[in-house]
Amino acid sequence: MTTDKKKILLIDDDRDFLKATRLILESGGYEVFVAEDGKEGLAMVDELSPDLTITDMMMESWGEGFNVVSTIRAKKSGASMPIIVLSGVDLQGPYQSYQPSDEFPKVDMVLHKPVKAEDLLKYTKQLLR
Amino acid sequence: MTDTKVRELVLIIDDEESVRDGCIQALERSGYTVIATSDGTGGIALAREKRPALAFIDLKMPDMAGMEIIDVLLKDIPDIVPIVITGYASIVSAVESMKRGAYDYLPKPFTPDQLRAATKRGLQHRELKIEARKLRDEKEQIQKNFITFVSHEMRSPLVTIQQYIESLKVVSAGALGEEAMYIIDRCVKRVKNLEELVEHWLDVSRIESGTFAREKVPVSVKDVLVKSIEEMALLSERRGIHVEVDVPDGLPEVKGDRESLIRVFINIIGNATKYTFEGGTISVRAGHADHYLEVTIADNGRGIPEDNDIHAEISCLNY
Repeated sequence: MTTDKKKILLIDDDRDFLKATRLILESGGYEVFVAEDGKEGLAMVDELSPDLTITDMMMESWGEGFNVVSTIRAKKSGASMPIIVLSGVDLQGPYQSYQPSDEFPKVDMVLHKPVKAEDLLKYTKQLLR
Repeated sequence: MTDTKVRELVLIIDDEESVRDGCIQALERSGYTVIATSDGTGGIALAREKRPALAFIDLKMPDMAGMEIIDVLLKDIPDIVPIVITGYASIVSAVESMKRGAYDYLPKPFTPDQLRAATKRGLQHRELKIEARKLRDEKEQIQKNFITFVSHEMRSPLVTIQQYIESLKVVSAGALGEEAMYIIDRCVKRVKNLEELVEHWLDVSRIESGTFAREKVPVSVKDVLVKSIEEMALLSERRGIHVEVDVPDGLPEVKGDRESLIRVFINIIGNATKYTFEGGTISVRAGHADHYLEVTIADNGRGIPEDNDIHAEISCLNY
C-alpha cells in the first residue's frame, strides 16, 4: 500500500520523548518513523528516504546528533533533506547562533525541548512545503 | 626489606661529600633508592627529573640558600617531603625552615639510625598527605559532578513529561472537558516551575565551575542593561513599578559574554521587581571609575542579607 503522506524520521534516545513527539507529528497527518540512536537513524535514512529528519543532539555520545547531520549531508540524497535539530542542550551557548560552517553542517532549524505541539507542526509544515 | 615494595626515592642535597656518602650507605641498606648532589641548582634539576618522595637539604649551601631550595621543591614536586639538615642547629633556622614547609630537621652530626627514623617518619607523613589530597580532590569532584548530574537527570524527564502533555492536548483534541483541561494546565505550570528551578541550579553549577561565560568579547554594558530592562518591562509594568535608568553613553566596553551577562542582569532586575512593593521604584545606574565599571541596581524592597556578596560574583564574571 502506498501513501502520499510525507515521511518524517525522528531520532532520539528517550523512548518516551519519541512517543510523545510522534503522537504530535502523526496528528499533523505525517507518517512517522523512529530510531533510538544515530546508527539506527542513519540506516533508516537509507532505507526510507524520509522527507524530513528530526534529530536529538546529545544521545549516547555528546555529538551524536552532529554526526547524524553530517553523515546525512554527505549523502547525495541527503544534501537537500530538511533537518531539524530538537535538543535539550542549553541552546544559549554555542548553538544559539548556530551557523553553518565547515565544522558543523547546515541544519534547517534548531528547536529547544520541550517543543510546543503547534510550533512543531507549524515548522514541520513550513519545511515540507 | 623485600623487593616487592616500591623502593622509595630519597634525594640528598649536601655539599659535604662524607655526609652524602654516609646517607647513601645508611639509606640504601634500608632498601631506599638514594640520589645525591652537592649543590642547590643540581639538586633542583635532579628533583625535577626524578621526582623523589623525600629530600634532605643542607641549609647552608654554597650556591643558594636551603630555604630557597625548599620553596622551589615544594612548588615543583608534588607531595615531596623536605627535611632540613643543619650544621648549626640553631632553633631559629630550624623553625624558619619548618615555617617555609620543611617537615622536620636533622641536626648534624646525626647517626644512621636517626637518619632512618627521620626518613621513615617523613614518608609516613607523605602518605597521609597524599591520601588527604586525594580525598579533598575526590570530594570536590563529587560535589561538582553531583550538581551537574542531578540537574541533567532531572531536566531530561521534565522535558519528556512536558512533551507528553503537549501530545496529550493534540491527541485528546476537544475530547477532554473543562475540568480535565484545567488539570492539564496546572500540571504544565507546576512542571514548568520545576524546570526553571533546575535551570537556576544548572546556572549556579556553571558559575561555580567557571563555564558560565562562554565567550569573552567586548560588550556594551548599556546595551546589556537596556536589553535586560526590556525583558523585565512587562513584569514591572504589571506591578506598577517605575524603573529609573541612568546609564551614560560612551562607557568603555567590558569583556564578557553578552547573553550570560543579560541573564545575570535579568535575574537581578527580576528579583528587584518581584521583591519591591507595588508602585515602588528600581534604579539602574552605571558609572566608570578606576578601571572598573560599576553597575548599581537599587530598589525599595526588603533588601539582601549583608553576607550575600553579589557584587563580587559579577565582577569575577566580567573582568
